[in-house]
Amino acid sequence: MLKNYFKIAFRNLIKNKVYSIINISGLAVGMAATIMIGLWVTDELNFNNHFKNKATIAQVFQSQTMNKETGTGPAIPRPLEFVLQQEYADNFKHIIMSSWLQPRYLKFGDTNIYREGNAMQEGATAMLDLDIIAGEKNGLKQKNAIMLSESAARSLFGNLPALGNVIKINNEDDLVVTAIYKDIPANNSFSDMKYIIPWKHYITTQDWIEFSKDAWDNNSFQLFVQLHDNTTMESVTAKIKDIKKDTAPDTAEFNPQLFLLPMKDWYLRSDFENGVQAGGRIENVWLFGIIGIFILLLACINFINLSTARSEKRATEVGIRKSIGSKRSQLIFQFLSESFLIVVLSFIVALGLVLLFLNGFNILASKAIVFPWFNSQFWAISLFFVIVTAFLAGSYPAIYLSSFNPVTVLKGTFKSGRYASLPRKILVVTQFTVSVALIIGTLVVMNQIQFSKDRPVGYNKKGLIQIPVMSNEFLGKRDVIRNQLIDSGGAIEMAGTSGPMTDVWSNRSGYTWDGKSAGFQEDLAYTTVSYEFVETLGLKVTAGRGFSRAFATDSTAVILNETAVKYMNIKNPIGKYIRDSDTENQDPPLKIVGVVEDMVIQSPYSPVKQAMYAFDRNDNTAFYNVRLNPEHSTSENLTRIEGVFKKNFPDTPFDYQFIDEEYGAKFKSEERIASLSRVFTVLAIFISCLGLFGLASFVAEQRTKEIGVRKVLGASISQLWLLLSKDFITLVVIALLIASPIAYVVMGQWLQKFSYRTTVSWDVFAIACLGALIITLITVSFQAIKAATSNPVDSLRTE
Amino acid sequence: MIQITDLEKFYKTEEVQTIALNKLSFNVKEGEFVAIMGPSGCGKSTLLNILGLLDDPDGGSFKFNGTEVAGYNERKRSELRKHNIGFVFQSFNLIDELTVFENVELPLIYTGVKPAERKKQVEAVLEKMQIMHRRNHFPQQLSGGQQQRVAVARAVVNNPKLILADEPTGNLDSTNGNEVMDLLIDLNEAGTTIIMVTHSEHDAKYSHRIIRMLDGQKVTENILA
Repeated sequence: MLKNYFKIAFRNLIKNKVYSIINISGLAVGMAATIMIGLWVTDELNFNNHFKNKATIAQVFQSQTMNKETGTGPAIPRPLEFVLQQEYADNFKHIIMSSWLQPRYLKFGDTNIYREGNAMQEGATAMLDLDIIAGEKNGLKQKNAIMLSESAARSLFGNLPALGNVIKINNEDDLVVTAIYKDIPANNSFSDMKYIIPWKHYITTQDWIEFSKDAWDNNSFQLFVQLHDNTTMESVTAKIKDIKKDTAPDTAEFNPQLFLLPMKDWYLRSDFENGVQAGGRIENVWLFGIIGIFILLLACINFINLSTARSEKRATEVGIRKSIGSKRSQLIFQFLSESFLIVVLSFIVALGLVLLFLNGFNILASKAIVFPWFNSQFWAISLFFVIVTAFLAGSYPAIYLSSFNPVTVLKGTFKSGRYASLPRKILVVTQFTVSVALIIGTLVVMNQIQFSKDRPVGYNKKGLIQIPVMSNEFLGKRDVIRNQLIDSGGAIEMAGTSGPMTDVWSNRSGYTWDGKSAGFQEDLAYTTVSYEFVETLGLKVTAGRGFSRAFATDSTAVILNETAVKYMNIKNPIGKYIRDSDTENQDPPLKIVGVVEDMVIQSPYSPVKQAMYAFDRNDNTAFYNVRLNPEHSTSENLTRIEGVFKKNFPDTPFDYQFIDEEYGAKFKSEERIASLSRVFTVLAIFISCLGLFGLASFVAEQRTKEIGVRKVLGASISQLWLLLSKDFITLVVIALLIASPIAYVVMGQWLQKFSYRTTVSWDVFAIACLGALIITLITVSFQAIKAATSNPVDSLRTE
Repeated sequence: MIQITDLEKFYKTEEVQTIALNKLSFNVKEGEFVAIMGPSGCGKSTLLNILGLLDDPDGGSFKFNGTEVAGYNERKRSELRKHNIGFVFQSFNLIDELTVFENVELPLIYTGVKPAERKKQVEAVLEKMQIMHRRNHFPQQLSGGQQQRVAVARAVVNNPKLILADEPTGNLDSTNGNEVMDLLIDLNEAGTTIIMVTHSEHDAKYSHRIIRMLDGQKVTENILA
């Protein structure tokens, strides 16, 4: 029986080549997109699956409230570790203090490499279950040790043994290689951690770290924990949440709340809104999951529409089979097995497409997804997916086709009734609703990115590079370097800053000033800068002036941005003073000498934060910002600048970043969404048009005789074209009317998450509607014109 | 074998009700060959559809082998049909996508006959219909007469007790038509009951009895043999 069904199905496929190609290619493209999205979703959900202890690892997070706004982040003060060790140790297998991931130079012999790594406490190896391939299991026991990842060791030592060798870190410290661990694979936290240095070494490298031992208000560290099996994240959070408030009562005004963020949430659910966990990447996982299902649905709709449209051709067969004795259930089964065959063929084509495009997709999505050939789970899910798709696509046609009355179909009087095409029309409207909504959505995402990119950043980021200050060798040489750079002709100005121009590394509070309202808890972005800060960046001074060597008192001066002036509510700020309330008696007050236009440092989507630029009297420089000489080419400038650095720091490799590129990186995640949704929109349109093309050719074929008669009676080609196209245009217009308000509301909501945002403007709808109509016309007209221009004698003879 | 009494069938549209069968009664005995004649629209095809259990009567009684089947549901009708009744249509109604062999095999598949047995039976009937040499051809590769022979082969492969033929020679020239009629005669002589709707006086003369209909009623009945 089954053989008979498949035989008929197969012969039908061969006989109706156009329909088969439309069906299979539509389904294959849809399935390929869905498989791709499925692989992407799985990859996202499997983040951190490398870690055996994933379920019990957590990071301590902290929420603090200032002026009724709660900020949440992973930065915690050092003394927290001691309290956890002394009073709560029985909850934890490991309590691991850690620095931030930070790049350092590692040097052995003449080889110098630049890699990111962490400083961590001893239990890290066990907590992260690092795969030690050489050396000690606990390579962090000695103070002057370093554990290297396999790749870092190979870069540094080649094929020579690494263990026991001494390497120089940032040209300062000598550390002994005690262990080599296998690199943590991509798609996991710590995958960029190419070395680990002992925490006990790290805390001795800089005075401020040592001093922070008792400072509850210095949130500059990370703390990872692994729980004992007999406890839960929630119960430990309940125990630790008020530790800071209780131990350091002077921090209570900010209501610091500590909690554990489980490792499974680090990647997917790390957004917080006012202290409450508010999603994160998981929203994109959902978004694309839904898009994937929709695309598959669109492809199934093609199948449904084409099968039911062709029902008159299959009707006779149904009649014959019924008169011979087939039960309706047998016919349903027959049609389902037909759709199963088509879906299986489509799946095979889809697999081919996935293999072909996986690389491109990986680039687009910044992923390293490998096709899961040997993953039995993947194949099991695929089988399920094929069956579901076959049912989705085949059920309605099977039920519809098997319902025909044998008497009417065999008499040849069978004509689908007036309403027979209604479900088909509804499905076409559904397809175009989805496609148009996707077009509008993609356009809005692209508009928002462009809008934010066009946002004035407040400084000139073109022709500006930053050079990270790598070691203590640089200390005190800022002005020397500046002069040499200008003399070299490679630069026209240079300023040192304590943080990059594309991020805020430090926030400060605890100031007083005249007119500060009682209870106001300020939160200022804080950067120390050198003399030519304003000139180098090209900032616009709106009041006062920039720092100047002409004023000796500028060593205790500050510059505010415009937002800070408004935020602190200082009238006529120039010449006024700001005092650090903690050190009021020791440090001189800070004099406001200038106000500059806001510069966008953090998110291009958020309002600019109130910022204070203090003069850097201690050469606390993290970056040299260098304005390149516009009279020379960039490469010429860079050669000259490198020459200056090589002369002064012969052992330190020259490293720099373009500020405009660093700024551009802020758009990466949104641009990724835009390019992914662009691809899927194109696929959705392609699938929908494919279906439309099939339907149009069916209608043209069905109305061949009518067209012939009309032509004989004198209808023009354009009249016939209009006749055949009109119905489809109507459907697309209905889809536009449904999709537009839905997209308006959904995208309006999406835009809400950006403070600096574009509006969903009318031209987006105009473009989407016009685009959809033009695509429809092109698709439909091909068949309509073909039918309209055919010889009426031929079409009349077909009866 | 067949007893119909006061059989009624109406067709309704929004405005008019057409009476297709108007209290029609007659019997057919096992082994008989009955021809039904009448002008277009007299209800012949409706009658055949009801006899073939493809359609439901609106009134009256229809006994098949002594059992009342007028109220049967689709499943029961299908069951009864596939074991007892074979159809021959004017337009052959072969499935284009199946070969001659596969078309004839179809009823056996639906009655659940084993593949080896199916092959034997299909080959026997194709042999009998002298169409064996065309077994792997598709319907559109055959002449009209050959197609109708395949259709007859398909109708009889199950050894049905009753064959319903709806103008079996209507689409054929006289030579091919006579061949098909000869086939039906052979089947009838072998014991199969045949009810045939026809416009052709020539074909009707092959039967034992001619029932003439007009406006859904029986007008005359001629016994020929």
